[in-house]
Amino acid sequence: MAELICRALRDGALDGEHAPALTIKDSIDSPFGPHVFNHVLAQLSANILAAKSQSQGLVLVASSQSPSFYFDLLKSRGNDVASFHKWLRVLDCYTDPLGWKVRLMACGSISSRSPEASNTVRLCTDVRNLDNLSLSIMELGRELVGQGKGRFSVAIDSASEMIRHASISSVAALLSNLRSHDQVSCAFWLLHSDLHDVRVTAALEYMSSMLGSIEPMNRPANVQRGNSENLSLFEQNSNKGKFHVRLKRRNGRVRLMNEEFCIEQSSIKFTAVSSEDGIISQGLVPKVQFNLQLSEKERIERAKVVLPFEHQGTGKPIEIYDGRQSLNESSTESTNSSSAEKVQTNQDPGKGEIIYFRDSDDEMPDSDEDPDDDLDI
Amino acid sequence: MEVWVRRMGVGKNGDSGLLPDDDFGLILGDGESGLLLAGGESRFTGFLPWQCIVYIWSLEGTAMENGGSWNLLDQAIGPLIEDPYASRSGGSVVLIEDCVETSGAFVLHHLIKRSISPLPPHSSPVLLILVSFARSFSHYDRILRKMGCNVVVQRDNKRFIFLDMRKLECPEAMSDGDGGDTFEGGLVDLYGKIQKAVEVSIVNGGSRSVVIMIDDISLLEVAAKGSSNHVLDFLHYCHTLKTDFGCSLAFLNHEDIYSSTERSNLILQMEYLADVVIKAEPLATGLAKDVHGQLTVMNKRNFDRWKKMSYFHFRVRENNVEYFYPGSRT
Amino acid sequence: MAATKTRSSSFSRNISAASTPQIPGLKCGPNGTIFVSSGIPDLDKILGGGFPLGSLVMVMEDIEAPHHMLLLRNFMSQGLVHNQPLLYASPSREPRAFLGTLPSPVLSKDDKSRDHDLEQEKGLRIAWQYRKYLGENQQNFEGQRDGKPDYCNDFDLRKPLERHFLSNQRIDCFSLEGSPNLDPFRERCSTFLAQLPRYDGNLTSACRIAIQSFYAPQCEYSNTEWEMLSFVRSLKSMVQSSNAVAVLTFPPSLVSSSFSKRLQHLADTLLSVKAIPDEDKELANLLTGYNDMVGLLNVHKVAHFNTQVPVILEATTFSIKLKKRRSLVLECLNQAPIDGSSGTSYATTGSCSGSSKTGTLDF
Repeated sequence: MAELICRALRDGALDGEHAPALTIKDSIDSPFGPHVFNHVLAQLSANILAAKSQSQGLVLVASSQSPSFYFDLLKSRGNDVASFHKWLRVLDCYTDPLGWKVRLMACGSISSRSPEASNTVRLCTDVRNLDNLSLSIMELGRELVGQGKGRFSVAIDSASEMIRHASISSVAALLSNLRSHDQVSCAFWLLHSDLHDVRVTAALEYMSSMLGSIEPMNRPANVQRGNSENLSLFEQNSNKGKFHVRLKRRNGRVRLMNEEFCIEQSSIKFTAVSSEDGIISQGLVPKVQFNLQLSEKERIERAKVVLPFEHQGTGKPIEIYDGRQSLNESSTESTNSSSAEKVQTNQDPGKGEIIYFRDSDDEMPDSDEDPDDDLDI
Repeated sequence: MEVWVRRMGVGKNGDSGLLPDDDFGLILGDGESGLLLAGGESRFTGFLPWQCIVYIWSLEGTAMENGGSWNLLDQAIGPLIEDPYASRSGGSVVLIEDCVETSGAFVLHHLIKRSISPLPPHSSPVLLILVSFARSFSHYDRILRKMGCNVVVQRDNKRFIFLDMRKLECPEAMSDGDGGDTFEGGLVDLYGKIQKAVEVSIVNGGSRSVVIMIDDISLLEVAAKGSSNHVLDFLHYCHTLKTDFGCSLAFLNHEDIYSSTERSNLILQMEYLADVVIKAEPLATGLAKDVHGQLTVMNKRNFDRWKKMSYFHFRVRENNVEYFYPGSRT
Repeated sequence: MAATKTRSSSFSRNISAASTPQIPGLKCGPNGTIFVSSGIPDLDKILGGGFPLGSLVMVMEDIEAPHHMLLLRNFMSQGLVHNQPLLYASPSREPRAFLGTLPSPVLSKDDKSRDHDLEQEKGLRIAWQYRKYLGENQQNFEGQRDGKPDYCNDFDLRKPLERHFLSNQRIDCFSLEGSPNLDPFRERCSTFLAQLPRYDGNLTSACRIAIQSFYAPQCEYSNTEWEMLSFVRSLKSMVQSSNAVAVLTFPPSLVSSSFSKRLQHLADTLLSVKAIPDEDKELANLLTGYNDMVGLLNVHKVAHFNTQVPVILEATTFSIKLKKRRSLVLECLNQAPIDGSSGTSYATTGSCSGSSKTGTLDF
């Protein structure tokens, strides 16, 4: 549940433990990761502003959208621009991630437009140096909460961009440093899973305590686009999707949840669906062996079980419909029925005889027995 | 703000099927549920079906359309230059994907024409920067001339900038030693050129809209010696122009190059980056003289505003391209 | 018909009226393009006139058959007959030796061959928009009576090209085998092309570049795909800005599919050749003239310069035949009329449904 994730992020870390971390992953079939990310970001910032959360501030590493995009986003959710500097810092890895603009400005080929001076945004011009990046995040965080015990949250809007510029091991080191840092309350990041190896995705999932994966409502059977059947599928997937959450709980259990979401004009709406536990939790159920031993009590109880084909009438005559007369008839007419008839019924209906010939003498003699001998019919 | 609505549909003979101009109506409202006040047909009051093209003449903004007709492709793409509903980011990113059998260059030509053909008065002119890796200027000149658009004049008016990058080679080992910077130099310079052009235009011409087009990303990749990372860096910087200056971007790339098993993430990254993806493919049934292929347009912007998915056939002609729904043409 | 003719002539007026008709071996095409002949009359007709100047032609080889060599030989011979400079590169150690295998033009002007050409014209289906150029073609054939060299010759594959065509020529040969990278060859191409800048007032001649088996495993550069692509890209841009045509053959089955696709995208005109199985009874039943066929030619892409309209041919697969065992002929594949059971040819079903559709429309 999106709500549950937000609560977990809000509650933050316990002393001496790693901060909770969330990986949001999507793929091109349902590329709504940014929507979910923005939703989580907005929820968390609302919590921070209302002082409901453990963290007192938020450091946002922006590499796929500009800082102004996020300011607009937060503004549209009713946050006050003037208060941003109290609780928000943006590390701008979007505007000039590789220092091209700095280089071009230095040789005068483009005019130097200094981004409007603000203490909320810090420009990063070399995203390949993750040590510096990590240092910057910490510094920005300390600006917000001071050196003391206060904690802040970290949001990374594209882990994919980071992995593109640096090795997976250094990115993982950065994330794990963040999580284990005393002053970090929680962290979350977005990943486009199909841009990376399975190994990379798995590494980031391993680093996180929560995983929100976004999947299309329906996956087309064949990739061939263009035919009308798939077209409607794509159309269906174009503003809706499924949201699976795996939450590693502190007691060691894994909580699984399923939601559907729908993208609306400026927001994303989650609706709970009846969880199809059977399908999802299958992976979690360990392979168990059958217990073939019986306890004494079980043995006694088993002995008491009456099997359905056993004759259950205690002492009563056995009346079984033989197909010629109804049971009612036989009971009413039994008094004045002729003896001959009675003889017949005694002889005939009870024991039908099947006369057969052996096909050959190869057969085992025991096959002469009536196979239904043991039945009480 | 005035909102104009024009009814679109498919004509009986498969033409774009615009009703005559007296079918214009003036609508007041937020564009979703408006009241038709004057002209037009009464059945379009209330909620507008998606077939309606809603375009806006705000007094200071750009008219979305220049009085010509919007064909199926235009409807599927929506406004290119300035998107009135995208509150935050100015322009949009359009990705055109094609294959050996069906070239998607005509979509680019169409967008060029749409960007720089004369606009109604009181709208700011558009600057188009075409970064060409595939074709010469004279090629584009001749094609657009036939479409009724004189790029030479526009170039003289400083509204069309042609950057011939056919001979661009990214020099090897810019900063020798650390290895990370190889081949990057040429792309940095190219980016510098583009940003310079944008800056000059914005400073000199007031609030101009800018469209940046790159006619073949796969050749840019070749120029960068196959380093798709550098291409992505370059595209990222182009994307910053979108946020900084409200530029729109249009890229052409060949999908079939990447369709093999080791699917490079370049095309995927581009799809993530794009607001509109247009795919040009041959017909599944093979060659045809009167149907040159099929287009699939996926529009990721503006939920509920534009149709998210469109699919139609096309036939390329010298002066225009016909678009029609499958089966609507005998 | 007349109307279209006048319109087309007004379109490409400044070039056609000015210089080109006098120059042998060049012909005006639509949209201000100028064609040179491929050396195979039928291929010229299929492509709407020939290879346009400034285009890069690629032939995808069949590794089992040498048909691409036929195309290359005729292309090269035709250039030499027209006295056009030629640059030939191949992965062999002695590329100049290949010049000895070039075919000689058929010089007999007897009516027999002319009849055949006319017949071919009728038999071949050509994209409709080029039909009007057939007339011009005809005129060129008339022109040969005046003793001028034709735009396009028939070549006798059995007779080697006469010595005098090979001497006193600007023929440049290059071996792709020795060099570890493509830089020397790139250099050579640019110096070769520099001798004829494009459209410097009066167009004097065109030059041809023929590159055989560009990707050959024995070449050292062949494991650096990006360098090869980079070379082809620069070759393309060089050719585009000079009045030359480059023909490059490569075996697609030896390279990765994405690399092959990239090359195909770089080509302006894309052809492929294919061997046909020997003594295949089924095919023999299916196709008329199976016995004369030596292979198949596929047209994947036809260069379209200065226009956005793609050239859609009515047929894309042609059979390569040797007429009288000496000259190369391309024919539309025709289904043999005998076996009706397997008669689900695409063309026939297409035309049937088409006619029925128009029928319903009329009523």
